Order: sequence, then structure tokens, then C-alpha cells
Amino acid sequence: MVQAVNRPAIPESQHPYADIIHRLEAGGSMLPDTPENLMQIIGIYKAYAVPMDFYWRDLLYIAEKVFLNPVPAFKYFISKEYLDRPNSYAGDSADLRIWRGEADAHPELREFMARGETGKLPKLAHHLWHDRVNMEFAEACMRAMLWHQGMGGRFYDYLESDEYVANADRAIKAYFKGNPAMLGLYKLFPTMFLEKVRELSYYANLGLFWEVMAPVFFEMSDLYDEGKMTTVPEAMDFLVNGIFAVAGRPIYHHLYIGDECIEIIPKSAGFTWLYEAALPYVEAVFYRTAPFRGTKSYNAQAGQVPEQQKDFHYGILYADVFPVGTAGIPPTLLMQDMLHFLPDYLREYYDEHCRGDDDILIQLGITFQRSMYNVTSAVIQALRGALLYPLDDPNPRHRQANRQFFESQMDRFLRPEARLRDIQRRDYR
Amino acid sequence: MLSLLLAIPVLGAIAVSLLPRRDLAKPIALTSAAIGFVFSLFLLTQFDLTQAGVQFAESVAWVEPIGLNYSLGVDGLSLPLVALNTLLTLVAIYSSRDDLDRPQLYYALLLFASAGVGGAFLAQNLLLFVIFFEVELVPIYLLIAIWGGSRRGYAATKFLLYTALSGILILASFLGVAWLSGDFTSFDYDAISADGLSQKTQLWLLTTLVIGLGIKIPLVPLHTWSPDAYVESSPPVAILLGGVLAKMGSYGLLRFGLDLFPDTWHLVAPGLAIIGAFSVMYGSLAAIAQKDIKRMVAYSSIGHMGYILVAIAAGTELSILGGVAQMVAHGLILALLFNLVGLVETKAGTRDLDALNGLLNPVRGLPLVSSLLIAAGMASAGIPGMVGFAAEFIVFQGSFPVFPIPTLLCILSSGLTAVYFVILLNRTCFGKLNNKLAYYDRVTWPERVPALVLTAIVLILGVQPNWLVDWMEPTSAQLAASLPSAPVAIAPATEAPELATLRSPQL
Amino acid sequence: MPTIVDIAVSNEGFSTLVAAVQAAGLVEALQSPGPFTVFAPNDDAFAKLPPGTVQTLVQNPPQLGRILKFHVVSGKYTKDELIRLGSVESLEGAPIPIDGTEGFEVKNATVLAADIEADNGIVHVLDNVILMG
Repeated sequence: MVQAVNRPAIPESQHPYADIIHRLEAGGSMLPDTPENLMQIIGIYKAYAVPMDFYWRDLLYIAEKVFLNPVPAFKYFISKEYLDRPNSYAGDSADLRIWRGEADAHPELREFMARGETGKLPKLAHHLWHDRVNMEFAEACMRAMLWHQGMGGRFYDYLESDEYVANADRAIKAYFKGNPAMLGLYKLFPTMFLEKVRELSYYANLGLFWEVMAPVFFEMSDLYDEGKMTTVPEAMDFLVNGIFAVAGRPIYHHLYIGDECIEIIPKSAGFTWLYEAALPYVEAVFYRTAPFRGTKSYNAQAGQVPEQQKDFHYGILYADVFPVGTAGIPPTLLMQDMLHFLPDYLREYYDEHCRGDDDILIQLGITFQRSMYNVTSAVIQALRGALLYPLDDPNPRHRQANRQFFESQMDRFLRPEARLRDIQRRDYR
Repeated sequence: MLSLLLAIPVLGAIAVSLLPRRDLAKPIALTSAAIGFVFSLFLLTQFDLTQAGVQFAESVAWVEPIGLNYSLGVDGLSLPLVALNTLLTLVAIYSSRDDLDRPQLYYALLLFASAGVGGAFLAQNLLLFVIFFEVELVPIYLLIAIWGGSRRGYAATKFLLYTALSGILILASFLGVAWLSGDFTSFDYDAISADGLSQKTQLWLLTTLVIGLGIKIPLVPLHTWSPDAYVESSPPVAILLGGVLAKMGSYGLLRFGLDLFPDTWHLVAPGLAIIGAFSVMYGSLAAIAQKDIKRMVAYSSIGHMGYILVAIAAGTELSILGGVAQMVAHGLILALLFNLVGLVETKAGTRDLDALNGLLNPVRGLPLVSSLLIAAGMASAGIPGMVGFAAEFIVFQGSFPVFPIPTLLCILSSGLTAVYFVILLNRTCFGKLNNKLAYYDRVTWPERVPALVLTAIVLILGVQPNWLVDWMEPTSAQLAASLPSAPVAIAPATEAPELATLRSPQL
Repeated sequence: MPTIVDIAVSNEGFSTLVAAVQAAGLVEALQSPGPFTVFAPNDDAFAKLPPGTVQTLVQNPPQLGRILKFHVVSGKYTKDELIRLGSVESLEGAPIPIDGTEGFEVKNATVLAADIEADNGIVHVLDNVILMG
């Protein structure tokens, strides 16, 4: 997909990030290609994939089973059925086998769910002691997607359509059958229930998105361990190919009541993984999200928060992981989750730097930032491949179009909060 | 017995410099300082609290024709300072960096300086005092000049010139007392007095003495050597310099100003009180203006020495007690501050107020050091529960009846202390730690020990100030009684408060 | 005259497109009177897509149908008309930009053969599968 180019057919870029743009044009990633970077990002992909294996299962469990439970106290107590649910992109039963591993929950995840940090305790004790996978992080990502909306794709418009409202109405009535209290409430506040269902549709959306990413990351980790993935661009290309391979995966929202299935968003609505999940996810979570109070607080009245949602810049690509890492929720929750599944080589690496175990969350947070710049590079290259021209296109006009695309993407990192410059340095930890 | 206090560091210094092992220099120096400290603790236990006079005295005739005897002794004024000296020497040696150049010379000089300071507190002979006073001069000069900061040459020379002048003036004053009074036998404290001199002569001699000692304290406007010397010294040397060396000046003022010139003291006392109050104001305001945290602490030290001057000038039983207590309290707090500032500089690589930020950060900052810095700032600002409050409170209570306005100015300035410490703490400890800079090394537990110990002492003596003032009470009462009632003539209506009010401090 | 589907079936090099149209269940629609303008990627165009892409799409007819509908415009537009318009709306809903400054380009694809007349519309052959966005 991405090939190296010998001689540029057009003059050099004058953009402040010209060096990075030229690297992208040569088929590289925004993240410099060093063995250290590769080791870091692959290690963190693996550490991310294990909790993600829980996230997607539980997101779908909540969207499809817990649904509108008025007291969802046990929504993080995923059922055995969903823990065993075969991933569509791993195992023998896969639609398209991306990971060569098994399709049910990852063994490391199961072990952690049983023991946690504290040891073998009843599930409820682990939950209350917060010694568990932090689903709150996944929900925060979901909420970012719900809140930002309007980031391309047709998903949001569909949630306002009559068809969707009718489907949701059917689902709500079926779910609360024989529950006059809730049905009465629904009569009184129909839009409130509808809005909750819309939120649950985003649960399903994000769950289906991550169902793909977990096996992608597992496979990358396995390839690295086998010595078959040796450079950062190779890692990026694997992601680019993965994005294309599953681009057409349907995004849907089904509700299961007993054996009955109610299609709130049917597969036939034609929503795709790339347009309705992946691109909005990257936009909402990597770039925008929302300002959260770490050691830094924001005053919206003083103009410290942008007026336009599209100008939000609180995602991982802009995050100062440091104060976020010391007080911010939810990124700290993710770091805590990844901490439990770090490969040994990465743990040793962190031990050797900065304060070792004491600031490991920040160190791995910054590694995560590096790795997400690589994922974003893959998205940029994939978009370039889908919408524009090959990197070795002989036509200078086409090259110029590619150049403009890359430059417009880099423009987003011109604001001072962007960490693109930082991740170019190896001593940024 | 007191000779041992001098012999221990001197023997330690000799051992350090003669043994050809660089790696043994610090352990030997540390052992020697530790023995010295333990010995001074032993002295504290043996000291008879009911006696006002000199204890453990020993005297050997040395150069009889000029009246120089090797006479040592301690009383309630000098014993706490002797203990402070051994403690801070231990702290200074302990907190010295392990990767020093020429460690043997460094530790030998440090021990010699400590012996000199100890000797000055122990001396019972004027000439012996001057000798010890001069003995610490050269080691400290070298310690600044060799192991100091970037402007060490300038600072060391300035220190040497000022302090040498200070020594000469003190010596001149002593010689004047001896030669001008008729019945001179020796320079021993109990044998010499300026009683027989005319008041005018006494005034000249006293003024010379005050200027000489004032340089050492330092008093504004004789202070200009001290911020440079403090800032350019390495933290251990700064601890000794500010913690105990400056106390030689205030101790000398108390000992000789009041003891030798009891009848003339009341003439210079109002002026001294005003200079003291001015020093406090000046030090505080100058500290507010600083951008360098070490310099800030240095100016803070100048301010706090002013309290002692006001206390000594007042010359009441309570104010003398407070003055000595403040010397110890100031020594402890200043040592703590210099130690912490030194740690911050070592780890963060800067002392710039504008560059430091968010050090309290628990993950990549220096949380314990910052917390202790906050505690030290509170102690320095005289927050109740810490030794600084106890000492300043006694000072103010003792000096207010005599010099109400200078005392009020001092109280006002102690509010300014809070101002600059809030500035310092707000800029360095609070705020957001910049991740671009925050790759500080971990602070190890051994590095934390001195600050923790000093903080503990500051807190314990703050909650239980009797453990501090008990040593000084009889002697300060006796010293105050030896003064004619001149101060009372200035404020005749007010009586010095009973010491009993101090018995149960309301903390 | 043949329909659009007939043209695709009878010509060499469109077997992937035909299979895709069948999988998506759009054969009937493309045989209806229309008229339609169809941008038809040839087999080489589909082959350029990374592995797995077509497989996933074929497994999911509605999603495949959506991509294919992006290649169809309601109404019959010749090359010249399209270049004059500059942009047309696809059946999928997203606009398709047209460029005529240098040959005949449809979004990021180049037209290999233009104005192939059919009974119920017109076909332009593309060297790339075009995608929304």
C-alpha cells in the first residue's frame, strides 16, 4: 500500500512540519522509525489490547443485554456468554482471521479478572476495591463520541431518523414489558429514554470498533515477538491494511431479550466500520475529547475552552500526559489498566528510566501517546490511499494533492498543545 | 572535659587529612562529628540547670605575660550553641556530596572550622575567643573558594575581607579594655571589666566591638558579604555559615557587650534596637524581591538575626533568654532551609523561582522535600507549634516593654516573612510541574534524613520550648540582673514580665 | 441496446464488479429503466485494494451496496456534462467530484473509457475504486 519514493516530483514543503510531511510522503509514520520506538509501541499495543478485549465485550454486553436497566449496578459484571463470545477477527470461526490466537477472552484478561492485584477474592470485592478493568475509561470514550457527533459518517443523522425512533420505541416497550412503572415513566419522558438508547447505540458502535482493534494489536505483538515486524513503518502499514480489510464491517445495535433479537440499528442500514466507527472514534478520542480536570483546570467563561467543538484539543495527541497522569480521570484509568498487562521487556525498559516504578504510569502514558501517533499516521495514510493517490504517483498534480492533504493534517498539530514535536525526541518520557 | 569537644574534630581533621584514602574521608569525618555531637548531648545531661555560672571550667596558663590563658567553660548561654554547632556540623558533613573533589581537604577544613566555632563558644578568655574566631576564618574561606558556586572567588574574598576586619575590630576593642583599665591581670572573662574606664572611652570601645561583631551577625548595613557568601557556598557550608558562624557575632554581643560594658550598654541599646528592627525589615523586603531561592533564604536569615539584636539590646531577662533561644531556633531552621534548597538545586538543577514549579507533584516532583520546605517556611514565619514561634514570642515579649516600636516593627516584619515564604512555596512547590523539565532524580532516603531530623527537632522544641529555654534561664537571669536598671529608665512604667508566664506557653 | 449490467457482464475485466453487484443484490436495480450514470471500476481497480477488503464487503451486502451506490449517479451524464458540472451527487448520498483539467478524472480515479452508452444509462470505466469522504 505504502511505497518508498526516491525523488520527490514536487518542490520541498515549506510547512513547519516539513520534515514529518516528507517522511509521510516517503511512506513513513509521524513517529520516527527507531527500534526503541517500535519496541515501545508494540509493547503498549499488547498491553492495550488485553483490557480492550474486556472493553469491547462489556460494551456490547451493556448495549445488547443490560440495555435500559434502571439500576445498572452490575453492568461491569460481564456474563460468561460475552466473555466466551468469539471475536469476529480471531480464532477459527473468524470472518476474517487477523489474529492467529483464540477468539474468546484473552487468558491474561481472565487471570486478571480472577486475581486482580489483591488476589483471589469474590467478584464484588474486586469491583468495590476497584481492582478490576476500568470500564469507566471505555465509557468516557463512548461519551466523547456521543457528545461530539457530526464527525463524518451517517450514524448521528440516523439516530434522529423516524426509522430509528420507531425501532427504539419497539425496543423500549419490549424491554420493559410487564413493568408498568417504567412504561409509565416512558410515557411521561419519552425523549429521555430515547436519548439513553442513543447512548447505548454508541456503546454498540464503540464495542464493534474495538472488537477489531484488539486482535489487530495482538497480531502485531505476536509478529514482533516472532521477529517479523521490524520497523515502525511496517507497524503502520499493518494498521493501514487492517483498516482497509475491515472497513466494510457492519456497525449495528441489536438488543437481546431472552432469545428475541430486536434490531435497533439493523445491519442493513449499511453502516460501516470505517465511516461510522473508526473515523469518528479517531476524531473524538484522539483529537477532541473534552477537557477534564487534572492538575489543570479550565475556565470556559474566560475562553480557555474553545467555543466550537471541532476546535477541542484534549485528546491523547495533545495531552500533557503528566498532569493527566497524576490526577486526571479517565486517562489514568487506561494507564492503570495497561500497567497490568505490560510485556516484560517494556516493564524493564520503564524500570531503567526516570523513576522506574514510581512514575511508570506517566512513562507508559507517553509511550501510549507515541503509539497513538503511529495509529493516527496509519489513519492518515489510509485516508490518503482511499481518497487520494499512491505515494509514487508519477503525476505531479496528484503528488501536490497528496502534499496538501498531508499539510492540512499536520496543520492540526500546529497548536502548541500538540505533542508531535515531543515524540520526535527519544528523551521525551 | 570541654577540651575533648575541641579535640574530637581536630583529631578527626588530622585523621582525614593524613590517611591517604579518599573514600574514607567522609566516614571518618562523619564519625568524628557524630562523636562530637554525642559528647555535647552528654554535656547537656550533665549540665546543672540550677546554676547560672560557668560549669565544667578548665584553665591552663598559656602565655601569661599577655594574659592569654587556655580557659574553657560553658554556661547557659553557650551550651545550647555548642550543641547546635556539633549538630549542624554533623548535618553538614552528612549532607555533603559524595562526589566531591579533594574530599580529604574538604572534610578536614569543615572539622577545623567546626572546632574553631566550638572553641569560640567555649572560650573563657577574650584573646582565646579572638583566636578561635580567627581560626574558622581560613577554612571557611577555602571552603567557599574551592567548593563554591560560579562566583565563589568573589564571594570568598569578600567574606575574608569583611570577617578579617571584624576580627581586628573585636581584638582592638578587647585590647583597649585591657590596656586602658589599670588593674589588668589577664584576659579571662571573670578577671576583666571595663568598669574603671570613663563612659566616653567605654562608648568608643563598645562601638568598635559592636561594629566588629555586627559584621559577623550581620547587621544592615554591614551585611553585604553575607548573601554572596551564603549563595555561593555549597549547602553544607552555608548551613555552618548561617547556622552557627553568624551566631558567634550575636553570642559575642551578648557575652561581651552586656558583660564587659554593663554601664554603657544602655547608651547604644536604643540605636541597636533600631538597627535590629531595620535589619528585620530590610531582610524581609529584600527577600521578597529575590528570584533565587537560596538568596531569598540568605536575606531571610539577615532579617531573622535582627530579632536577636533587638532582644540583646533590650537586655531584659526574658529578652536575653529569647535571644539565645532565637539563635538556636534560627540555626536549626536556617540549616533546614539551606539543606532543602540545596536538595532542590541538586535535583532540579536550578534555584530560579521562575523556572521551578509544581515540586509537590507526587509522581515526578520532590514531594517530601517540598512538604518539608513548607514546614520550614512555616517555622521561619513563626507559625505556632514550631520552635521559631516559641523563640520569637519570647523575644517580643521580652523586648516590647523596653523598645515597643522596634518590637512592633519586628512583629510586622514577621508577617513579611510569611509573604516571601508564600511566594517561594507558591512558585516552587505548587502549580503545575512542567513535564518538559521534570526529569528529576529521585531523592533517596539517606538524602532525606538530615531534613527529617531537623524538622523533628524544630517541631519538638516548638511544642515543648522548655526543653530549649531551661538551659538558658539561670544564666540569662543573672546576666540581666548584672545590668543596671537603665532599660527600665527608658520604659519605667513597664515591668519585665515574670518568667512564670513562660512556664506554660499557650501553644 | 444492452443494459448497464449487460455491458459489464459481456466485457472483459469487470468480473469483480459483476460479482460485487450480484452479492449486493443490485442487479435488478441496475437493470431498471433508470437512467443511471455508472462509474465502473475494472478488475485491476479492485485488485489494488488491500487484502481482505473485498472479502469483508462481500460478506456484508448492505455495506458493499453502499460502496457500490457511491459509483452510481441518477440521470445520464456524458463526460462533457460531468466536467461542466464539476460535482454530482451519488446514490449513496455523498458528492463525487469531477475534474477535467487533465484528461477526465473522477475523484481520485482516472476514467479509462468514457461515454459507453447503455439502454438505461451511461458507463465510465475507472482505474480505481472510489470511496466516500
